[in-house]
Amino acid sequence: MGVENTDYREESLDLNNPFDIKLVSEFLEPLGFEFDSIDVDYTMILYNLNQEVIGTGSYKGRVLKYVAVSPKFREGAAFAQIVTHLIELVINEHKHIFVYTKPRNLEVFKGLGFTEIATAEPLFSVLEFGYENIKTYQDYLRSIKKDVTFGGIAAIVVNCNPFTKGHKYLIEKACAENRVVYLFVVEEDRSSFTFDIRWRLIQEELGHIENLVMVKGGDYVVSGTIFPCYFLKDEKECDIAAKQAELDVVTFLNYIVPILNINRRYVGTEMYSPVTAAYNEAMIKYLPSNGVEILEIPRITQGSSDNYISALKVRIAIREDRLNEVLDFLPDSTKNYLLSEESAEIREKIRNTVTRH
Amino acid sequence: MTPKFKAQAGTFESSDIMILIEPLEKDSGRKVDISSTVILQFEEDIKKTINQVLDRLQVEGLHLIAKDKGALTQTIEARVETAVKRSLGIQEGTM
Repeated sequence: MGVENTDYREESLDLNNPFDIKLVSEFLEPLGFEFDSIDVDYTMILYNLNQEVIGTGSYKGRVLKYVAVSPKFREGAAFAQIVTHLIELVINEHKHIFVYTKPRNLEVFKGLGFTEIATAEPLFSVLEFGYENIKTYQDYLRSIKKDVTFGGIAAIVVNCNPFTKGHKYLIEKACAENRVVYLFVVEEDRSSFTFDIRWRLIQEELGHIENLVMVKGGDYVVSGTIFPCYFLKDEKECDIAAKQAELDVVTFLNYIVPILNINRRYVGTEMYSPVTAAYNEAMIKYLPSNGVEILEIPRITQGSSDNYISALKVRIAIREDRLNEVLDFLPDSTKNYLLSEESAEIREKIRNTVTRH
Repeated sequence: MTPKFKAQAGTFESSDIMILIEPLEKDSGRKVDISSTVILQFEEDIKKTINQVLDRLQVEGLHLIAKDKGALTQTIEARVETAVKRSLGIQEGTM
């Protein structure tokens, strides 16, 4: 590697070495990045022949991060060299690469063959590259599409971590009020309950409904790639969450709505999570003006009138070993699952972690 | 022949072309996606050059992605050939 251009020297960093981390941090700071070594799997650095650091780039999983070149060297091939270096490493493991960057860098990445997915000014843009792209996902959507072109066509996005009576009520209500309901299940496996389990519990309970179509969320519906804040522990950076929520909503609007002819979106009222509240706000900003009606359905209660059903409450109850108190919140599929041996591992995991998801 | 591995050749630099190859199911033919900074003038030429190399090497059952930044015909030929050979496991390394 690096033979193509002998002007610059590529070197990979030892992320366990505080000196190396200091080197990158000091280089990135004046360029407006706050480098956090927990945030990356791999970092490379580019030197010129005078041993000056002129650029750097990192990745975590399949997302490129902290790609920056010192202003003096932006005219040359340094940027292309960094991205080439990173992609050679990432494309071996993943079919699909994302870049999270500032909108002002959009053109630079587009010039390298990346495709823009969405932009939320002035903080974020997401681009993608690889064997699979958003067209692959759109083909998947076309393959499951129901042949209905008029009347209510609704979308619901759920994580269902775990599936509760609240979700069930929302979905059944939507199914009764519309000709087709597309139920997007968040595919990212960062929640306590894995995607397979979440999908299965919903299907067991609601699979019989004829006008309900279950859809995998893929990389584009509340994915950790586009909307990382949704999966973060603390919620202090709500501005960032709001911007990321915007990215997610714009992606939904531009790439999913037109394929499935969606004209309604159902959401539950959010009372607990500021991130989801920011998400709902972003929807209100974009969807109605583009022909998608938003229907906010108040949460249902169990027993007393202020005992709202919430998946978070269920997880807290599991953590505190008082599952019996929340059994009323759960439909049969989830109830049976949580009371069975099969879920022992997940219950144990929830007990030992303190995350929002 | 059909490719065995994912492979790539080339860079994103000006006057070069990045070729990515992934194996497809047998008998699924060729799928070639091209993006280029000079797509309006040279899309057909680039496609022709790539297909010629693939014909010469007799490979089928692959998905090829080309990200071109104005490479000359010879460059395109060389990059495609290297990517194909890498995907067949015949050639390794940069040189």
